[in-house]
Amino acid sequence: MRDTEFCRTLEIEGTLLELWVEHRWLVPDEQAGIRTFHEADLARGRLILDLVGPMGVNEHGVDVAMQLLDQVHSLRGKLGALMEAIRTQDQEVQRRILDRALDRR
Amino acid sequence: MSRSPYEVLGVGKDATQKDIQSAYRKLAKKLHPDLNPGDKDAEDRFKAISAAYAVLGDEDKRGKYDRGEIDETGAETPPRHFYREYAASGDTAGRYESEHSFHDFGLGDDIFSGFFSRRGQGQRQAKGRDAYFSMELDFLEAANGVTKQIHLPDGPAIDLTVPPGTRDGQTLRLRGKGEPGLNGAPPGDARIEIRVRPHPFYKQDGDDVRYEVPISLSEAVLGGKIRVPTLDGAVNVTIPANSSTGKTLRLKGKGLRKPGGGHGDAYVSLQIVLPEPPDPELKAFVEGWTAGKAQAARRHMGG
Repeated sequence: MRDTEFCRTLEIEGTLLELWVEHRWLVPDEQAGIRTFHEADLARGRLILDLVGPMGVNEHGVDVAMQLLDQVHSLRGKLGALMEAIRTQDQEVQRRILDRALDRR
Repeated sequence: MSRSPYEVLGVGKDATQKDIQSAYRKLAKKLHPDLNPGDKDAEDRFKAISAAYAVLGDEDKRGKYDRGEIDETGAETPPRHFYREYAASGDTAGRYESEHSFHDFGLGDDIFSGFFSRRGQGQRQAKGRDAYFSMELDFLEAANGVTKQIHLPDGPAIDLTVPPGTRDGQTLRLRGKGEPGLNGAPPGDARIEIRVRPHPFYKQDGDDVRYEVPISLSEAVLGGKIRVPTLDGAVNVTIPANSSTGKTLRLKGKGLRKPGGGHGDAYVSLQIVLPEPPDPELKAFVEGWTAGKAQAARRHMGG
């Protein structure tokens, strides 16, 4: 969807959307200068509205929260992939990795 | 859903709207599904408190609920998809991926280096990150503006224009001088935080500048025109006759340029300086000056 539909769905002003993009809280899909927002961006927008609205987080707080959240998701993605990869190994290899990981905690 | 919204939020029936809001806020921060990516339970509990707050947070609806006109579910809202669902399924095409946070895991020849740096399709575009720097400037350079040649790492020297009235702690932005973008996307910006070195006599006070200006005894007694330095060059200032040390003159518009336009003022505090070496004629005069001896200079201090 384009800017106008995005703003209408979330009931926000265009200037607020610009601010979000400027802060990189939202990174629209941009191709040949045309930017498109997806369902994931809508969900992200709702999260931002939750943070600044009912949860009372200020602009700097949202900045920190979104950065950490992106790190958490990236980390979860990598960890998930790693877990999958380990699960496909022999039982013996799995056990050795787990032993070592627990040992070095 | 048989629990009453009051129970869900953990407040009494006599709670004020403010109590209800703060109870919701507390629970929402703890239970928001996007802040608890892996916790399935959090979503159900968040939905429950949100539904409860949808009823109790609105005084109108709360009244209707209290009177039994609506049930605890209030109005039906379409099911909401939380961001974590998209982030988990990789639906964001890597736009929000935070590759930089893995730089300490597997770099160089480590077989995992590819694992931590490989991105989704390898074709996505992303604006480069902003690069952060800091620079020290003399007080007058910041006050009057200056063009400085700076060297960013791995780049040619570039001219940084510091606008007049730049303050300590202010950040200047060089568009497109940050880290390169991915796959043809624009680069990030360089952000340069300015540190202003204190000046030996100009002291900044908001938009104004304060400093002391020495005057001779004859200038103090007789008054007259003197040359006074300001941020952007000396100006003629008329001092009234019989000016004591500490007398402050305001030079309008001679302070720092304000961010929104216009200038602050300069406040010049006069300081009488006696002749060096001492002048025998002055000494002889003051010795015979009876009114001077009778002056009670410290009367206001009770002396």
